[in-house]
Order: sequence, then C-alpha cells, then structure tokens
Amino acid sequence: MKDPRVIVCAGGGGVGKTTTSAALSVALAARGYRTLIVTIDPARRLAGAMGVPITDVVTPVPLPAARGRLWALMPDPRRSMGTFLDFLFADEPEAKARMLTNNLYLGLADAAAGVHELVAMNLVARAATEGDFDVVVIDTAPSRHAIDFVTYPARLAALLGGRTVAWLAGLAQRSGGATATAPRGLLSWGTGHVEHLLARVTGPNLVRDTANLFADLALVRERFVALTRRASELLLGERVAYALVAAPTAAARDDVLFLAARLEKLGRRPRAIVLNRADTQAAPWVRALREGHGVAPSITEVLDVLEQERRTRATAADALAVELRSKLSWAAVVRLPYVEASAPEDIVAALSTELDAHLTALLPDAR
Amino acid sequence: MTAANGNVRLAARSLAPAVLVMGKGGVGKTTVAAALATLEAETHGLAVLVEFGDGESGRRALGPTHKGVEHVVIHAAEAIQRGATPLFGSATMAKLALGNFAMRPLLKAAPAIRELAMLESVRQIVEARPGVRVVVDMPATGHAVAWLRTAKQGREFLGSGPMFELCDRVARELVAPGRASIIVVTLPERLVLEETLELCESIALDPGLEVARIVVNRVPLPLAQECLVDARALAQGGGALAQPAAALVSLLEARAAASAGAVAALEVFAHGPHAIWQVPLAPVDPSARDVARWLRAEGAA
Repeated sequence: MKDPRVIVCAGGGGVGKTTTSAALSVALAARGYRTLIVTIDPARRLAGAMGVPITDVVTPVPLPAARGRLWALMPDPRRSMGTFLDFLFADEPEAKARMLTNNLYLGLADAAAGVHELVAMNLVARAATEGDFDVVVIDTAPSRHAIDFVTYPARLAALLGGRTVAWLAGLAQRSGGATATAPRGLLSWGTGHVEHLLARVTGPNLVRDTANLFADLALVRERFVALTRRASELLLGERVAYALVAAPTAAARDDVLFLAARLEKLGRRPRAIVLNRADTQAAPWVRALREGHGVAPSITEVLDVLEQERRTRATAADALAVELRSKLSWAAVVRLPYVEASAPEDIVAALSTELDAHLTALLPDAR
Repeated sequence: MTAANGNVRLAARSLAPAVLVMGKGGVGKTTVAAALATLEAETHGLAVLVEFGDGESGRRALGPTHKGVEHVVIHAAEAIQRGATPLFGSATMAKLALGNFAMRPLLKAAPAIRELAMLESVRQIVEARPGVRVVVDMPATGHAVAWLRTAKQGREFLGSGPMFELCDRVARELVAPGRASIIVVTLPERLVLEETLELCESIALDPGLEVARIVVNRVPLPLAQECLVDARALAQGGGALAQPAAALVSLLEARAAASAGAVAALEVFAHGPHAIWQVPLAPVDPSARDVARWLRAEGAA
C-alpha cells in the first residue's frame, strides 16, 4: 500500500470544473498513473461522460484513452444520509432507530450541509487504502464553500461535546413536564428566562426533538470526529495539490479569488489555475480550412464568425490571466480551449489531450 | 407602445407578485434575475431584486445604474433577528434569546431556521410593496428546493405556537400558487437539461409550485444552414480538408442540437407561448441590461 497524491479541483459553478477534472484524470491515466477520479456532486454529468454508474463502488472507466488505469467513485448524494447514520451508529442501534423517527432529523436530512462530503471522503479514504492508486483527483461540489465543510463538522462535534447538549437535555425534560425543579449548575441564572421564551415560541415538540437529536448525536461524537479527521487529511494533507478551475467571466473570476483566499486561510495555496474557454489561437482545423483552396464561401463566412467569437473570449481570458498571475503569482495558469461538441466524452477527450502538456503544473514529480 | 412591449407586459402580468429564480450554479441565474428586475422596472417603473449573501453578484449584474430597481440584500443573521422579534415580543427579548450560549451554536447547526427566516424576510418585502414585482435570486438548485419546503415541514411538525404561525404565513402567503412564480434558468446542454427537468418535477411535487417560465441561457446563435451542407460535402469528399471539415460539421451540429434540443425537451414542462425564453450566448459576460433586451425580444417572438 502506498500513499497516493491528491489533486483537489475546486471552482464556482458553470466553469466546466467537472469536465476538466474528468479530462485531468484521463490525462493522468494515459500517462501511466493509476488514477481514481472522485466526484462529490456527480449529478450524472461526469458519470455520463465517463461511462460509469453513480454508486458507492469504485468502478473502472472504460474510456480507451484511459488505458485501463482509471477508476471512478461517484457516490449518490441521496444515499449519503443513510450511509452516514449506518456508520455513526454502528454500535448504537437504538439511538439510530430514534434518529430515524425524529421529526427534526427527518426535516433536516435534505439540508444538512457537509454530510454527503463527509461520507464521500470516507469512501475515498477506504478506496485509497485498498486501491493502490498513484493519484486521486477529487472534484469538489461547485461552490465557494466546497472545502469549508472540513471545518463545519469540527464545529458541530465541538457543539456535541459542549454545554448546549446538557442544557437541551435538561430543557426537554422540564418542558415534558416530568419535573418542575429550577435548573442549577451549568444552567445559569439568565438561562431560565431564555428557556421560558423558547418554549413559548416553539412549543414543546421542537425543544424535545432537538434535545433528543443532540443527545443521540453526542453518543457517537468520537466516530463523528474520526470521520471529520479523515476528510481533513484527504483534503488538507501534505500530499494534496489544489487546482482552481475558472473561465473568463466576472463571476468565475470572483469565485476563483474567493476560493484562493479561503485556501490561504487554511494555510494552503493553489498550485494551478485552469482557465477554461481561454484558447490563445484558432484550432488547427480552423486554420487548415482558412488556408485551404476551394473552400465554399458559406464555410469562410462561418469561420469568420467563429474567429470573431474566439477573439472576444481571448481578450477576456488575457485580462483574467494577467490579473491572476499578479494576484496569485505562485500558481501556474493553464489555459484550455473552448471545445464545442455534443457528446461530453468528446470534450473530455479533447481537453485531456490539451492537459497532458501541463501535468507538471499539478504533480511536482510528474514523469 | 409597440406590439412587442404589449406582449411582454401580457406575459409579465401572468406572473405572481414574487418571482423566484432558480437553477443550478453557474447557469447565469443572478444575471437573469437582475435582467428580469430591470425589464420589470423599465415596463412598470419599479421592481425589487432580492439577493441572499453579500450582495456582490447582484450589484455586479445590475451595474452602476439601475433605475427603478431596488436591490435588497438579505443577511442570514439579520433575517433571523427580524423574524424572531415578533415571536419573542421585542427586539431586546429576541436578542437575548438568540445570543444565548446554547442558541448560537444551535442556530448555526440547524440550517432550516436560517432558511425559514430568509423566506419570511422575502414575504415581508412583498407585503410591504403592493403592486411591485419582487424578483428573488434563489440559491443553487438542490438547496433552493429544500428552502421552499421548510415552511410546510415546519408547519406540519410544530402544530401550534408562534413559530407554527410564522411557518404557516410563509407557506400560505409566499410559497403558494398565485403568490410566487418559479422561473428556472438552464443551459442548452443535454446533461444540464436533464437536471432541469428533474428540478421542475421536484418543484411540482413539493412544494407544489408550477414552473412558470424556463429561461434557456447562452443559446449559441445558429450558423448558416448552407455552411453545414457545404462542410458535409467537403468532409465526405476526402483529401486534406476532409478532417478539418468534419470538425466543423461536428461543431455546427453541436450548436444546432443545443438550441433545438433545449426547446424540445423543455416544452414538456412549459405552458403557453411565452413559457420558454432563450437568451443568446455572448462571447463575454452580458450585463443585466443586455439580457433584459434579449428577454424583451423573446417576449415579442
């Protein structure tokens, strides 16, 4: 068993991050690295392009370009909460049964942030241990907070061990009407007023369910912390390189600067910024048609339109590249062309060929 | 007033007072929301653009001059405080309760409370401005649907009490047919479209709102049909240019498929002549004003 290198791809929505991550993994596999591509937010996009199902199981990617060295892990977000509870409450079946009937839990299950990411990272950790990979490419969710979830569970874990749980447990007991004695100790003087207000506002149900939920979660705090630590190691460890994916739009520019600042706060810096839709010159086939003899005027006219579009994109990309090189001078800026094709696998193939020349920007010891 | 403007007004009138703009991240949701507010202000004099978070992206989309558009930014903490004030009887009492050592981390860990408070803020904005359309730039897909469900879920779960009443108010006066219209923004890409269809279905199922409009953003302008015929002939003719011509054919086909496929797939969910609006692909960021102009043209189509 060896310790794989990890490349974390982050970026805002709509910049082609998923396709770029897929292309990067294909490029790595084609170079001979045993590669695992993990997508946190599969949404069928990458799966479709790679020809693999959305499942918790590591699946070989059948693309010929990957030469049998690429595997994919695309866990379904809808199943994560169940997997999460199975893991947390493996030793506490009764608490798990209570969780599943807790109204608050049922209501919150949709919205609970970070759970899917945690579950996915746990799967990645297992796959990385068992799978003998050289490189793991992690395609994060398209969000400015794609890496923040690493800190969120730590806060929740702290909360579970803190005074809130004790307070809530006492409050639930009292609001249930079992005892009417005044709180002492941890529950300070002013808290009585808060309890009174809270019970008046929410009614007894919410307080009781909240208290039970937290009490049950507190039971499995250790497992929760272990899960969080594993996710942190994978995303913030020594062997991790970050690639921020952007495109020449104002929104993508703001997202990439925001993400770089977030990474900086975690003591990390992106190794590379991949700029999509940023071709510097016309595609070879466009040049061939332009220089060819006897090409119909209808084709020449369309080529003119395409060239005009490309120039407009390139102007925006030039300006962005200059700004990023000055603000994030330590990161390599990799420019990729705009690939227009109907089939996502064609785009992945085209971009992986382009990325091959830039692998050293992401892997310090690329061969 | 031209016929085109008349059509836009007719289409716009069938929308509810609150317009919730949804879609996955990166589809241009904010720009479309800002454009809708701009269009509304141009037509009716006034409109509100509601944004959650820091307000940075809405400001960028609206640009420096946005006559008639009131840009309201809702911050989570303020929304909770505002929503809690009537519940606790006074701002001081609300502050006392929310600032409590146990409540603070609890609020951070319980997402539904924040979301409910933000919806309540939107409800208040709509209530305070009768006759003015309020366009809301909702968060990205999965999250936004969960948001809209919080009011009904809270109502069922709480059963009674002031917080139940708050949930009930939001469910009846905001997240209800005739009170809010959903506009979904999407892109003309097969996989994005599939997700959009799923989103429309899930909105119809719960919270039970109908998608009033679908905006297909960044639709590539179709290129001359003649070129496709000539390029195909060149590709089939063999020789040095056959391969470059085949690449051109594939590009032209991709564009045509993107545009046609978008409309065909989305018509299933859309109703009426203005149900689908297309916004053309601009090589660089279009402003809200540009998009408003295109939307106006779409309304006239």
